Amino acid sequence: MENIRTIEEINDKIKKGDAVVVTAEEMVDIVKEKGSKVAAKEIDVVTTGTFGAMCSSGAFFNFGHSDPPIKMEKLTLNGIEAYHGNAAVDCYLGVTKMHPERRFEYGGGHVIEELISGKEIELEATAYGTDCYPRKFLKTILTLDDLNQAILCNPRNAYQRYATATNSSDEIIYTYMGKLLPNYGNATYSGAGSLSPLSNDPDYETIGIGNRIFLGGGIGYITNEGTQHDPKNKLGTIMVHGDLKQMKPEFLKGASFTGYGTSIYVGLGIPIPILNEGLAKKTGISDEEIKSNVLDYAVGRRSRPVLKETNYAELKSGKVLLDDKEIPVTPLSSIKESVEISNILKKWIEKGTFFLTAPVERLSRDRVFKPLKVASEIPLAKEIMDVAVTCKLSDDIDTVAKKIIDENVNHVAVVDEDYRLLGISTSFDITKAVATGKTKLSDIMTKNVITTKPEDSVNICAKKLEEHDISALPVVDRDNKILGIVTSEKISSLLGKE
Amino acid sequence: MKVALRINTEKVTDPIISTVILEKKARINILSAQVDEKGGKVLLEVPDEKTEEIVKAFRDSGVDVEVGKIIEILKDKCVECGHCITLCPVDAIFFEKDYAIGLDENKCIQCRACLDCCPTRAIKL
Repeated sequence: MENIRTIEEINDKIKKGDAVVVTAEEMVDIVKEKGSKVAAKEIDVVTTGTFGAMCSSGAFFNFGHSDPPIKMEKLTLNGIEAYHGNAAVDCYLGVTKMHPERRFEYGGGHVIEELISGKEIELEATAYGTDCYPRKFLKTILTLDDLNQAILCNPRNAYQRYATATNSSDEIIYTYMGKLLPNYGNATYSGAGSLSPLSNDPDYETIGIGNRIFLGGGIGYITNEGTQHDPKNKLGTIMVHGDLKQMKPEFLKGASFTGYGTSIYVGLGIPIPILNEGLAKKTGISDEEIKSNVLDYAVGRRSRPVLKETNYAELKSGKVLLDDKEIPVTPLSSIKESVEISNILKKWIEKGTFFLTAPVERLSRDRVFKPLKVASEIPLAKEIMDVAVTCKLSDDIDTVAKKIIDENVNHVAVVDEDYRLLGISTSFDITKAVATGKTKLSDIMTKNVITTKPEDSVNICAKKLEEHDISALPVVDRDNKILGIVTSEKISSLLGKE
Repeated sequence: MKVALRINTEKVTDPIISTVILEKKARINILSAQVDEKGGKVLLEVPDEKTEEIVKAFRDSGVDVEVGKIIEILKDKCVECGHCITLCPVDAIFFEKDYAIGLDENKCIQCRACLDCCPTRAIKL
């Protein structure tokens, strides 16, 4: 695509106050109404924005030297352990590191928010003492102004798009995608859709290493492709850094996800120079055109089952249709703040206080995001399950007792004519029935059966067996049809083999 | 109107609510009630036109009463993500047109479902 203007020309216009800047949200309608050719002629810059929990985030600090000096070995900031494997008074504080007593409620992200809010932070450090750094203990109170450098450094931010999370199980689950209600009771998504920076430049023509960006209310830079950058699946990411001393607590907020841990919300915005018609067209991308897979987060596996493909327009409507059920869905990112960020960036450029940069290097377009190579594979429920011995609800106790003896099992699954699980009865239940004179199977069987899915790993099976103090788990499909049974004896025998 | 009662341990066994219902001939809906070693906590829905006299009757019988404000979203903490919206069983929390968080205090039943889902702990009951 032939370029119609250069970044230098745009910066000249910004200097004169003549640059035409619109937000990515406004650009959708402009391209729809006028077409990409006219839009490219009229618009110089499109601003994007996103504001979501970004768990990879953290900050580098330099404290300066005390007298006598110390080579810190272990250090905490407001009780949160910082990583100290570098020089004497440097450290990296990760946002997901939790306070040992206030777990899930207070973590590294909260410390960073408090620092930029001007609050005092307690630093405590210990050391083994060296000839050059003799001090062994230090405790002091610091504010952001006292630090030499405080640099936000986030290896993976601004996911191009993200998955939508829901929960098929019959229990509430707490995840990094929030609190997910049982039986597809709700869903959450992340990302700002049509405002998402990388979705507006999906071939990474203008977004690349060296770009000046809006970060946490101040100025930041893109320093690399992000970790887990996955361009072929339109799941690009960027690594960013910026001076915390410029940032504002409205755009950098500590977060707590119950049962998962702490994190931080990061506000990030990138301006896209409209160098050619292609970029005008790409920045006109609408919410409908950005897809998100609805995943079942009840499945504790690396690849969670895709229940359907949705898009950000459906997600922003507040309901996502799954089979015939309308599931309430909301973001975990903030749409309102994302719009706000794109507007602030627009104002900065219009006022001539923010200039555009060409990338020094482009982001990779063919990097592959590989899974972890592990030495031993963990077996799945479907691989270790035994054939389930079943009976009908109408069977009498004698029949079930005979099955237990003939098949040499402890559990008999009670199923309907389509093999859907109705209950389970154990040899203990049968003994109890005889002792108490009960004859109907429905009176003695367990009706609220704890089950597992065929794709669940043996770890999940073991966790369920232990948590519920039971000895077998029927394996069922999505329609609750029985596929087999995983017993604690089987899991024990697997461990015995090793 | 929502009315929250705090009943001290000495009065917890008294039939205070039923007395007020009978005396004031008011249709009072008990939304939640908890009793523990610190006393009783009750959330009521009372008819708007009788709120004043009902509140007075409870106060006269020695109960701490709080009217109206039963849920608050702290604006300086809230990032307006909206996660609480899907957790609210009575649609008391919703998105405004510009994706700001809207709150209808009258609908809240203090079920607490939203409390532990809020990433910035911005909801207070």
